[in-house]
Amino acid sequence: MADVRVEKLRYRYGRHPVLKGIDLTVSDGECRVLFGANGSGKSTLLSILATRRRPRHGSYLLDGAVVIDDPELARSRLLYLGHDSHLYTHLTPLENLRFFSDLRRLRPSDAQLLEVVEKAGLARFAHRPVRSFSAGMKKRLALSRTLLVQPRLLLLDEPDSALDQQGIDWLNTLLIDYLNQGGTVIMASHSPERVAALPYTGHRMENGILAQAVQSELLPC
Amino acid sequence: MLRAAYRIAWKDVVGDFRRRATLSSMLFFAVAVLLVFQAAFEPDRSQALRLVPGLLWATVLFTSLVGLGRVFQAEEENGALEGLLLAPLPHGVIYFGKWWGNLALTVLVELFLTPVTLILFNVDAWDRLPAILGVLLFGTLGLTGLGVLLAALTQAARSRETLLALLLLPLAVPLLIAGVQATAAVLTDMGSPWPWLRLIAIFDVVYLVSAPWAFAWLVEE
Repeated sequence: MADVRVEKLRYRYGRHPVLKGIDLTVSDGECRVLFGANGSGKSTLLSILATRRRPRHGSYLLDGAVVIDDPELARSRLLYLGHDSHLYTHLTPLENLRFFSDLRRLRPSDAQLLEVVEKAGLARFAHRPVRSFSAGMKKRLALSRTLLVQPRLLLLDEPDSALDQQGIDWLNTLLIDYLNQGGTVIMASHSPERVAALPYTGHRMENGILAQAVQSELLPC
Repeated sequence: MLRAAYRIAWKDVVGDFRRRATLSSMLFFAVAVLLVFQAAFEPDRSQALRLVPGLLWATVLFTSLVGLGRVFQAEEENGALEGLLLAPLPHGVIYFGKWWGNLALTVLVELFLTPVTLILFNVDAWDRLPAILGVLLFGTLGLTGLGVLLAALTQAARSRETLLALLLLPLAVPLLIAGVQATAAVLTDMGSPWPWLRLIAIFDVVYLVSAPWAFAWLVEE
């Protein structure tokens, strides 16, 4: 569903270079996982792909369109979940999803929102403010927005953090269904074991450089 | 986009009513300021007519600082501001939503504050109450418009309430002077309020046209 092309992407924080010429091409329906130590540049790359940061050098095309020329159009086609859940703690899950839908000019019915909350395993808490949720529950709710939006490109930064094994199984099912519908995923992870259920192609990132793609079955567990 | 801005404002107002935080703080602060001034001056009628315009605007200014200091409070949790910035919206729409929310709370305070001021200072000007409220609202448009931009600028700073006051007070002085003079003209029939209202209109237009652009530039990384 989404075609991502990144060429010679560079980014630095002040004088400190973080991305040193990233080249990445991801076609429709692919799942790419970035592995690497803390500080290797995974989150920075994802935040640039999400249009949260502008690259200092290089190009980024999404479905053939230059993203920095029209970041709003790019944001309408992708969904990004970083380390934060982007939820409002004084709102209930249903209200958070409704607010999120309004920002994207979607008009789901209350029944559709409730269905999303049920699929996230949070039906019992649908009318409770999110401030009472654990980190794992917030992560599930945040991830369930994928079901609402069905983006062309899903960008996830360590989505398995804060999730228990049941949550990880739920996440893997969500992502496999999404990929089977033609969605494209680029995600960061610390551990091949946690994404072992996904049909991914892995890249190792080190010191701002992206290594060659490696098929999932060839990555050491 | 108007709907998105409205929903952002709705979220803020609902959140404040649920937390009973900002609005109640603003109201208590306003009443405290009025009581202190009433006890300090105990003016007779002619003195009260001269005092009330400045007193009203000073109370509005300091009360609005209480509200502006919290305008991005809900976005501090769970990275919610990033979630807003990742929505497929021009970032200026976010500014308008935050502005409308803060404006709504400030206007609610003024609707309470103005009649209470007339009662406490024994000013018989009930027939002019709509006109006084009209002048206050007109000036509050620009005051809150500028204030929300400065709140965005200072939200990441350590002493942000102090910094916000240091930045807002000098920039708001021309607007406040015009507001006080217009209110005095309405209250006392001495002079015309229209030249001052025109000055307020100029400031409102300058602030509200430039602020969305400045906000969008501010939040870019």
